[in-house]
Formats: sequence, C-alpha cells, structure tokens
Amino acid sequence: MIRLDKVSKSYKDDLYALIDCSFEINRGEFVFIVGSSGSGKSTLLRLLLREERPDTGEIWVAGKELSSMQKWKVPFFRRNIGAIFQDFRLLPNKSVFDNVGFALEVIGKSKRYISVQVPQMLELVGLHDKQDRLPSELSGGEQQRVAIARAFINRPLILLADEPTGNLDPDNSWSVMGLLERINRTGTTVLMATHDVGIVDSMRRRVIELDHGQIKRDQIRGVYGMGQ
Amino acid sequence: MAISLEYVVKETSGNLWRNRLMSLAAILTISVSLALAGAALLLKQGVSVATSQWKGGVQLLIFMQPNATTAQTGAISKQLNALPEIKSFTYVNQAQSYQEFKRLMANSPDLLHSVTESQIPPSFRVVLKNPNDAPSVGSLFQQQVGVRNVNFNRSAINTMLRVTSIMQLVIVALAVILLISAAVLILNVIRVAIFSRRREVAVMKLVGATNWFIRVPFMLEGLAQGLIGALVAALAVIGIQTLFHYAVSHFQISILSNFLVSSHDVLMTELVVVLMGILVGTGGSALAVRRYLEV
Repeated sequence: MIRLDKVSKSYKDDLYALIDCSFEINRGEFVFIVGSSGSGKSTLLRLLLREERPDTGEIWVAGKELSSMQKWKVPFFRRNIGAIFQDFRLLPNKSVFDNVGFALEVIGKSKRYISVQVPQMLELVGLHDKQDRLPSELSGGEQQRVAIARAFINRPLILLADEPTGNLDPDNSWSVMGLLERINRTGTTVLMATHDVGIVDSMRRRVIELDHGQIKRDQIRGVYGMGQ
Repeated sequence: MAISLEYVVKETSGNLWRNRLMSLAAILTISVSLALAGAALLLKQGVSVATSQWKGGVQLLIFMQPNATTAQTGAISKQLNALPEIKSFTYVNQAQSYQEFKRLMANSPDLLHSVTESQIPPSFRVVLKNPNDAPSVGSLFQQQVGVRNVNFNRSAINTMLRVTSIMQLVIVALAVILLISAAVLILNVIRVAIFSRRREVAVMKLVGATNWFIRVPFMLEGLAQGLIGALVAALAVIGIQTLFHYAVSHFQISILSNFLVSSHDVLMTELVVVLMGILVGTGGSALAVRRYLEV
C-alpha cells in the first residue's frame, strides 16, 4: 500500500529532512511514526500527500509512484488519501455538515448524494446531532472528529494523521483513537505521526521511529521508545 | 472533470457578497480608469477625424469644381507631375470625398442630407519638398480651369497639426498609464481576496479539488467585477459624449464641432472598454490565484 525506496529529501543544501529512508506498509496496517520534533515525521507525511517531491528515491502510494506523477493527476490521487492534522483544518465559516460535505462537493458529487452520505458519516463519528453547528462552537475533540468524518467520507485507502491528538486532552484523544481504530478495521491503512507515548505504548501496533531523518527502528507491536 | 453550474454560481456569488467591500473597490477602480481611458480614446478619435484631410504632411489642397471634366482634372494632374517642387500628391475622387464628408458631418444630419455626392468637390492633396513653396505653388493653380479653390493656409494647419499631435500623444500616454494602474489594482484586490481565503484553498487542495475547480469561481469573480466596472465605465463614456454633444449644439461652439465623433466610433470605444474590463478582471484573478495553487 505504501512503499518508500531510498528516499531522501533536503530543504536547503545541508539540511536533510529525510535520509535514505526505505520501508513498506501493507494494506490494512496501523502504523505509528514516532520521533522528536524535526526528525522528519511531517516531511514524510507531506511527501506521502505529494505536497512535496523527494530529491531522490521512489515513493509508491496506492499503486502510484509519486515522484514522477504528473501535476494534473495529483488531485485525483489525493481523493484516495484521507488526512487529518493537529490543527483540524476545518473551514470556520461553514457548518459541520458543510465541512464534511465539502470533500464531496469538491470532487463533483451531487447534492443528493451528499445529503445521504454526510449524515451517515456524522452518525459514525457521533456528531449527527451537531451538524448545523460551526466549528467554533465545538470542543477540540469534536472538531477533530469532524475532520475525521471529512477525511473518511471518500472511503480512502489510506488515512494519514499528523499528530491528531496533539491538541486534545486524554479523554478526547482516546475517543479519536477509537475512531481511527474502527476506520482501520474497515481495511483502511492508517499512518499516524505522534508524540503521545501513552497511546503508542498501549495500542501495541507497528512503530517506525525516525531520528534526524533516518529510520532508527521499525518494530512490530512496538512501544514509543526506550530511554526517551 | 465536470464542474456543476450550481456550485460555480453559488460559490462566485457567495464570494462576491462575502467580500463585497473588496469587490466594490475593484469595480470602482475598473470603472474610473476605464471611463477615463474610454474618454481619452474618444478624444483621440475626434482629433483624428478633424484632421484627416491633413494626414501625411499634406500642405496644399486643390479643390476641383464638382462638375470638373476628366480632361480638366487630367491637366492638373499632369502639371503637378511636372513641377519639381512637388514631392508627392494624391487625388481624392468624389466618392471618397463624400465618405470623408459623411464622417466629418456625422453629427449634423441636416447638413448631411442637404448635400449629395455630386455636389462634393474632388481634390488633390499635395506634399511639397519645401513647405515654404506652398503659397507660390498654390497661386499657380488658383486660376486654372476646373479649380474651385486652393487651400494653402500652411501656418494655421501646421499649428493645428502640432497641437493635435501633442494632444494625441498625451491622451494615449494617459490612457496607457491609467490602464496599467487599473490592472495592477485589480490584481492586488483579487490577491487580497484570495489571501483571505487561502485556508479554504488549502482545504480544497487537500480533499482533491482540481486546480480548475478552485480557479474557475475566482476567475468568474474577477470577470464579474471587470464586467460590472466596464459597464459603469461605458455608461460614463456615453454620458461624457452626450454632454460634449449638448455643449457643442447648445452653446454653438463651432470650433469644437469637428471633434465630434460618430456613433460608430462611440460603439467601438464602448466595445474596447468592455473587452478591457473583461480581460483585466479575468486575467488579474487568474494571475492572482496562481501562486496559491502551487502546493
């Protein structure tokens, strides 16, 4: 589902964000990417979303090679990928319903299809009674659940999460993790970059640790790290 | 990729309304600059109509009698060919003269209708090697058979031509400067509008919107602003023209009457104004949106 082959990426000549990274993630896996700030986690996710191209190496996502992908194909590629972020990235002037529906509207789905799909999705994330609220009227955990609903409404093959619990209290973090696990059980590959030691340690999933742009550890059923 | 009409209309009108102050600023900028540019264009056309007979350094006009025979005209032509002081000359026949007359008198239909083509004098337009020869060469032809009248009022003509050429230059320069400033202002207004919505653009890119899907509502927004601004400008141009017309006929300012332009010229000017509004609005927004699509 995701394969990196000797990928390097630098921002300025001497500042390497990723150095010679290779790994493979199969369909339906749940993988944590851990590492301190500046270790290259965010760069990795940006590369997987094709917001940037690697300097060298190949990146295969959902059967497509990203470094050689033509520009006009990128939007269509992104429709197979869901993404959520620490800062939620919701549109502040649109209601919960419209925020989720926006992902469908943008790819040209009909109003009717949207009016069926969005309530179902909001039901799944437990926000069906708040669909007319604005994001500012919701708690952080609820906002992240709206973002998850938006990311998952296209039934993507892969869900990328960049520190999704970074702004949330433990209760809300766990409800978000519960949702991600349910999404993973439907067969969606989940890749989550995080700092949250407690979550990583108790989930016992595959852990890839990055350190100064290099893969330090790739462990099945891993924990956050020793001596951190 | 199909973009639904409903989405585009909703998005464009929503954006226009949400950023109504910005839109108003863009529209006003376009109208003011295009109205001035349009008025300048009209004035330039007026000048060129008024001086059309004297184009190309013509210093001497020999008007023939309207009923002059071919032999008489031929004799003048032969004589002009033979004179060493003459650099070049052209013969303007009755039909051409009548066309020119119609253009000049387009705003005086009464006069226009009272004169027929057969009453119009054909003429020779003469360019001399040395402009100072105009009186002497002119007097040669004054008394010839078939010649009605010779016009070599050189100094007056020269002054007029100098003044008008400077005027044209100033007007054209003014129009160009105004249009450039309009384009820059529109670009900036739309850039600010897009900047205030960069979050939205980023989210659209994230969920897989194509660049055209993002670009089209912005471009239509610019188009609408350009079009509305141009229409206001077009009305203003008509207003200026009507006012000028009124002043000329009401206060009998006969000197200015030659500067009046025909309705055809006004129509062409309006067309240019509207096209420029559309071009500047759409192009400006397309240029402004480009940098936010590079993700």
